[in-house]
Amino acid sequence: MIQISGLHVRYQSDHGEVHAVRGIDLAVKSGQFYTLLGPSGCGKTTTLRCLAGLEAATAGEISIAGTPVYSSSRRIVVPPHERDIGMVFQSYAIWPHMTVFENVAFPLREMRGRFSRAEIKKKVGQALHLVQLSGLEERPAPFLSGGQQQRLALARALVREPKVLLLDEPLSNLDARLREDTRLELRELVKRLGITTVYVTHDQLEALTMSDVVAVMNQGSILQEASPIEIYRAPKERFVANFIGLANFLDGHVSQAPNGSGLGMVETRSGSLSCTLSSTAKVGDAVTVMVRPEDIVLGTPGAAESGHNLLDGKVVAALFMGEAMEYQLELPDGTMMRLKLHASNVVARGDTVRIQLPPNQCRALMA
Amino acid sequence: MTATTVALQPAHVRPHRMQASSLWQFAVFFVVFLSVATPLLFLVLGSFSQARLPSEFSFHSLGLANYIKVWSDPGTYAVLSNTLWFAVGSTTFGIVVAAGLAWLVERTNIPGKIWIYAGVPMTLAMPGMLQSMAWVLLASPRIGFINKGLMDVFGFAAAPFNIYTMAGMIFIEGLRTVPTAFLMLVPLLRSMDPTLEEAAAMSGARPTSMLRKVTLALMLPGLLAVAIYQFTSALEEFEVAGILGLPAGIYVFSTKIYTVLHSTSSLPAYGEANALAMLYLFVAIGSMYMYSRVISKSERFTIITGKGYRPRLLRLNAWRWPAVGLVAIYLSLSTVIPFLALAYVSFLPYLQAPSAKAFAAMSWDNYETVFQTERMGLMVWNTFVMTVSVATAVVIMSFLISIIVVRSRFWGRKVLDQLAFLPHAIPGMVLGLALLWIFLQIDKLGVGLFGSLTSLIIAFTIGYISYGTRVMNAAVLQVHKDLEEAAKVSGAPPWRVFWRVFFPLLQPAFVGVWVWTVLHVVRSAGKPLILTGGGENEVLALVIWNMWDQGYIEAVGAIGTLLMLALFVITLVIRRFGFGRGPHIQEGR
Repeated sequence: MIQISGLHVRYQSDHGEVHAVRGIDLAVKSGQFYTLLGPSGCGKTTTLRCLAGLEAATAGEISIAGTPVYSSSRRIVVPPHERDIGMVFQSYAIWPHMTVFENVAFPLREMRGRFSRAEIKKKVGQALHLVQLSGLEERPAPFLSGGQQQRLALARALVREPKVLLLDEPLSNLDARLREDTRLELRELVKRLGITTVYVTHDQLEALTMSDVVAVMNQGSILQEASPIEIYRAPKERFVANFIGLANFLDGHVSQAPNGSGLGMVETRSGSLSCTLSSTAKVGDAVTVMVRPEDIVLGTPGAAESGHNLLDGKVVAALFMGEAMEYQLELPDGTMMRLKLHASNVVARGDTVRIQLPPNQCRALMA
Repeated sequence: MTATTVALQPAHVRPHRMQASSLWQFAVFFVVFLSVATPLLFLVLGSFSQARLPSEFSFHSLGLANYIKVWSDPGTYAVLSNTLWFAVGSTTFGIVVAAGLAWLVERTNIPGKIWIYAGVPMTLAMPGMLQSMAWVLLASPRIGFINKGLMDVFGFAAAPFNIYTMAGMIFIEGLRTVPTAFLMLVPLLRSMDPTLEEAAAMSGARPTSMLRKVTLALMLPGLLAVAIYQFTSALEEFEVAGILGLPAGIYVFSTKIYTVLHSTSSLPAYGEANALAMLYLFVAIGSMYMYSRVISKSERFTIITGKGYRPRLLRLNAWRWPAVGLVAIYLSLSTVIPFLALAYVSFLPYLQAPSAKAFAAMSWDNYETVFQTERMGLMVWNTFVMTVSVATAVVIMSFLISIIVVRSRFWGRKVLDQLAFLPHAIPGMVLGLALLWIFLQIDKLGVGLFGSLTSLIIAFTIGYISYGTRVMNAAVLQVHKDLEEAAKVSGAPPWRVFWRVFFPLLQPAFVGVWVWTVLHVVRSAGKPLILTGGGENEVLALVIWNMWDQGYIEAVGAIGTLLMLALFVITLVIRRFGFGRGPHIQEGR
């Protein structure tokens, strides 16, 4: 449905030239919920705005539903109003001088002559019903709560039944509780309508819970594109692992190439660890071993020396987080490790504990 | 005017081709560059020109003679010092009064605040020329009603007041400074976080030292900015200095340039006027530069937080009525008394101090004479066409410029912003003079621009674009960019985005700039005096000036009274309109 290839965006700012997007390629299938995730300034919003036609790209190709909307080689730029898209802005961009009805009717009226008054009324009614704002038609738009404005913006984006829906951090202005409910509602809604959605966010939880595909971006490039589970479980780079969820990192080098089940050995400062290696890894390669805090298993100090990846450490900090306990462990070589355990585990500050890093959960990332 | 062709540009743009969308931006840039840079170029060239007339200008006759003549004339130094005294004096006087008024309404429980908020800005509608003329009627040594009255009552041998002095000029210009300074100071006081003052009180500061060490210290950058801004305006002032200073031979830059061009004894010395204007221009640009420096510094002082504070009000108690009295004195001196004086004169058969006899002799004769004057219809029509064209052109140009400056990534947007602001630093007299040179050069091609109404429209439009763009920049900034982009992705082509989003949201700014421009154009005599070609482009301000010059004081009273009434009505209507819709321009969240 959406095809972007070789997209570059450069522009002049007050501090010189900015190369905001550096060669992005991506493809979104029809009906897919695709998320661009990354820190601020990574180029995700710029990419989305190029897709909408609000930003001028410097080079590359973009097509929507098989129609090229931008092509630097063929010198095509379709202006935003001629692209078949709906968009929700971070600020919602509700026009304050119009009523709720007028805001939603705007895109229909801009397709001059396509719809009669009665049809517009009907379509606006349907769109408002979809986002549960029925009955507020005549209210001036500024008199809506934040959550209502957000839904109004969504109704306005959907009313034309566009092929593609673009969402630019639409939840970031809602308070925490509302955001949680809206996440679910929003995904349900676009899935029910079967509309292809591109979603931009810096919130990893939104990306993981809502998306079919997540693309993690940094410094204008896509680092990894995969399903939420794969992104979380098998990040390809340290940046991705760090940006999504918490992770411990141990630098080292490969001492034994991976066997048939993908496990090999890595020498680190804290000891030699058995971990999942990519099939191309060779002995001597520099790698970083990543392990998630919640994957670490608590052992019993002094118990039988069975299995791999056993480490002893001293608890230097304990944080109660409600559903879990988070501990900071100092290993004998000074390395700090974080682990997350169910709150029923009682370990006190100052205790020395033995932990195990399950080899399947330890991933060696190429440095 | 060129602005209309530019306004049509966006509709012509074929969006499917790549750079097409920036074509109109280039066009706007080019027009602004041409209308600001060319006058300055000709001003400089003209100052070196030794030809007798601008139309005889040639590159072979350039030299320093004009400069030598101007700088060797001791009169020039007197003009420089007069101008500085005039500007510094009136700014100081005006700001002290304005600060007092602003403090009274914002920080005390003075009664009748609505009247102060409404009454002080009303003075803006009062043309400086008429205010000065009214004060001549009141306080000139020969005919001044106040002088006559005091001499009769107290038996003074000589008139106690003389308005034809530097003090008189400073007094009137100071009064004229008050409304603008007031409008700039009120938000400054209102936006200051009162907890900053409360913190001083809790730290043991007494009210007086709190006022000095916290309130004034915090306001200082803003106050300084207002002062420099007003100083620049005073530098430019022509009408007050012309009516009050010329009869007494007290010249400031603007009136000196006028005299050099309108000398009765010799040919106009255009080159000399230019050489003089160069010095004037440097002073004005210097003060404008300081203004922008101070503004950028004061922005670092984050006393303005955007929250609506409700500061504690000082209880005036016994001082309430004296405070009201002071406000009343200001309003009467600036507006009520001058208006009454002119209205009084307009009914008299001949000029005389108020008396039972004078009131008995009153009639509508002067009004009849005015209406029966030949060409009066043409002049009123000229004035109408000119003000409406200028105001409309300024609104359109300012909007286009601001859209580029605030919204686009057009390569020249910063330069464009500076170019549009530059005319504010160019005194009206200087701009008029510079344009005179251009028009005369163009007329060599047989165009006939000089002396046409179009020439006045061009001159005023260039002059007021700087104000228009300042207001428009702020207004466009307030319209969240997403509101515009949401319309684009909703399928609206550029002109529909303008029509359905910008136009309704910016309406208060459009109306505000339009009216402000009308009020200023209609009363300005400086540029018309320089650019007049006799007859064809005569406008009301010019008629009033000339009638006054020729001694038809009663007729001036009649025209002036009508003009002021019209301006008051416009101001009142627009204030209702503008203020009712203001708060709606907010960000789209």
